[in-house]
Amino acid sequence: MKKMFFLFFLLTLISCEKPLPIAQAQKIDREEFKKVLNQESEKVQVINFWATWCAPCVEELPAFEEMSKEYKDEIEMTLISLDDAELIEKKVNPFLKENEITATVLLLDDPYSSEWIPMVDPHWDGAIPVTLIKNNSKSRFYNRTFTESELEKEIQSFL
Amino acid sequence: MKTLKILTGVVIIALIVVFATGSINFGEDRENFYAADPKQEREYSDAQNNEQAPPNMKETTETTDSTIDSDSGYSIGDKAANFRLQNIDGEYVSLSDYPDAKGFIVIFTTNHCPYSVAYEDRINDLNKKYASQGFPVIAINPNNPQAYPEDSFENMKVRAKEKGFTFPYLFDKGQKVYPQYGATKTPHVYLLEKEEGGHIVKYIGAIDDNYKNADKVKNHFVQDAVDALLAGEEIKTETTVAIGCSIKK
Repeated sequence: MKKMFFLFFLLTLISCEKPLPIAQAQKIDREEFKKVLNQESEKVQVINFWATWCAPCVEELPAFEEMSKEYKDEIEMTLISLDDAELIEKKVNPFLKENEITATVLLLDDPYSSEWIPMVDPHWDGAIPVTLIKNNSKSRFYNRTFTESELEKEIQSFL
Repeated sequence: MKTLKILTGVVIIALIVVFATGSINFGEDRENFYAADPKQEREYSDAQNNEQAPPNMKETTETTDSTIDSDSGYSIGDKAANFRLQNIDGEYVSLSDYPDAKGFIVIFTTNHCPYSVAYEDRINDLNKKYASQGFPVIAINPNNPQAYPEDSFENMKVRAKEKGFTFPYLFDKGQKVYPQYGATKTPHVYLLEKEEGGHIVKYIGAIDDNYKNADKVKNHFVQDAVDALLAGEEIKTETTVAIGCSIKK
């Protein structure tokens, strides 16, 4: 009986570690942002720009989270928040928790957006959401919103 | 005891399934996100690329842009259409109501957008500074209040009163004006100069380059552009980009 209890307790403990941890927004500056943009990887990189105040961004975020889980071996999902850095604890992290986001979340703390927007794509005028999908041979910029199936289709075209 | 046995059995089976599907090895890639030296990584991937990639797989960059508005909107030098929209005081405002104006600082802005809110005082200052010099501010809320109730006509009145707006704050009812201009986000500025043929677009973009802190602005894009027009000089920066809130249909 005692042994059984112990075994049960141990197994329960192990199984508790299962779920993916909820993301915490990590603040980055311009230099780190450049590294993210220029990073080369074996995986397909999906970089989405969003903010908690942006309704269409919030609407499409579950699709990105779903893809992040479903293609976790094939893609690297990075969600770059453009929220105010002062609101990480108050707004961004609670939002991630509420929406159970587990993909990597970075917060670009650089108000001089006219300087870094062109680094992402020359056609981007700053409206969000936008998404960048790339692998080592091609990259594509999407000035649009996605449904889950639309996003999956695009991701597959990079695999 | 029996229940416990069954429970233990269930947990063991569940664990086996999880192990078998491999869903337990999460997190590894993420931890490596910054760990690797990017240079090394690049060399490694380049080498791989050279070996494996077929010769036609050169670096390509494509852009898909479904917001047709940004393509069909105005460019520098275009003639801007006049409009007649209702102001928060109930009166209708049109560009032709200002016979003495040399031009206009047309700003698409909203109540709900944090970027717009951050610029409210600066928009007020622009009007205070330039209305008397012939370039009044005309603010237009292009949003669909059904998408953002905070941007309703009633709420526009409230906000204008709270912030003491000194300029007209018009409602783009039916959302007809902003697509003509090609505004995609708020705040989005169109600086117009009155010429014989009409109102010519001279600057498109952001108010300045730091939404967050007015004291740390490096380039006052709109001010510089209006100053240049007033001085009869060329505008150095005619278009700029900035993060803003997408206009919702």
